[in-house]
Amino acid sequence: MREVTCADLELALATDDPALREALARHAEGCAACQAELTLAREIEAAAPSLRKAWASPGLDERVRQSWRAEARTRRPLRAASWVSLAAAALLVVGLGVRAWKGAPAPDAGEAALAFPALDPATQQLLSEQAAAEVEKAEAAYVRSVDALARLAEPRLQEPLSPALTNYREKLLLLDTAIAACRAEVERNRFNAQLRLELLSLYREKRDTLDTLLKEDLNAL
Amino acid sequence: MNLNSSEEALRDFAGLYESHGARLKSIACNLLGNVADAEDAVQEAFLKAYRAKDRFKGDSAPFTWLYRILVNACLDTGRRRQRRREDQEPETTFDLRTAPSQDHPLRVALEAALRKVEGRPRAVFLLAEVEGFTHREIAEILEIAEGTSKHDLFVAKRELRRLLAGTRPPAIEGPHP
Repeated sequence: MREVTCADLELALATDDPALREALARHAEGCAACQAELTLAREIEAAAPSLRKAWASPGLDERVRQSWRAEARTRRPLRAASWVSLAAAALLVVGLGVRAWKGAPAPDAGEAALAFPALDPATQQLLSEQAAAEVEKAEAAYVRSVDALARLAEPRLQEPLSPALTNYREKLLLLDTAIAACRAEVERNRFNAQLRLELLSLYREKRDTLDTLLKEDLNAL
Repeated sequence: MNLNSSEEALRDFAGLYESHGARLKSIACNLLGNVADAEDAVQEAFLKAYRAKDRFKGDSAPFTWLYRILVNACLDTGRRRQRRREDQEPETTFDLRTAPSQDHPLRVALEAALRKVEGRPRAVFLLAEVEGFTHREIAEILEIAEGTSKHDLFVAKRELRRLLAGTRPPAIEGPHP
């Protein structure tokens, strides 16, 4: 029969070996300190499954499916019309980038939190670690607000197709594609101020588009 | 699973979401600490997996591949938060449904202690003890050796015992302090 001492406690708790665990249990019967450790270890193992989380999230279900559908559409073989869309997306990205470089319109109150610290693209193309962290924090808050707006607009986008709605859907799809491409670039170079400005411009464009969509009466168009 | 044709891929991914979405949300929520970030992480993981489906070589089960994307994304987020020292900020409160039969008096203390366990050991503890994955599955998910998974679990449990020891009544007597 195997015997363990207090010195074997950690090893015996870590092992899958039933014999060693049994030996620890026998030792713990006469050792209060090891008994306390063993009891706590068992309680942690017993409590762990209760940390499992469950909640209903129908919004997420739809978001996931929509993201696949959007991705599947962008991956279809390119036809002439698709080339036009791609060209439009490229122009949109370039155009917004140029606008950002030349100075985008003054941010409104909703964008106050998205102030880029000490960011002048004409003189400073790279952010410091601290500035990048601050930008990412502000950016995350802004993206959440745009995403919230997108969720609000979802019911409108599900309405029966009209020419106006088709335009909105296509524009939002192009913007999401451009945002995804820009985000990928930002992930590769998180200190590049110009890319950050382009991303901001794209999100601003998406926000304005969603805002207009929510305000407009599509049937009247 | 055939991840080649677009329609079939959509069906297959819908199946993956049905089977694993809830578990992925639970893992992300425990790693990130709030529902909104967890849902964003799950959406991102499914989209990344869908985009990369052509690169999936089938040398591991699709679900372990999906968990790998999610856990890596959550760990990256955790590292970024640590850099920004945001982990001290109060986290969003949320109302979660836990099965009463699974509830446990130690749950709240354990959840708080687990937030203080950093990096991969935390993820291994969640996958092994909370979600019930085997060390072989965890090794596949995290692309580590099974032995490393066992060691990380040991590290996490030791840290949790240290953190929770203060909340327990002290041993009356014993040969070691």
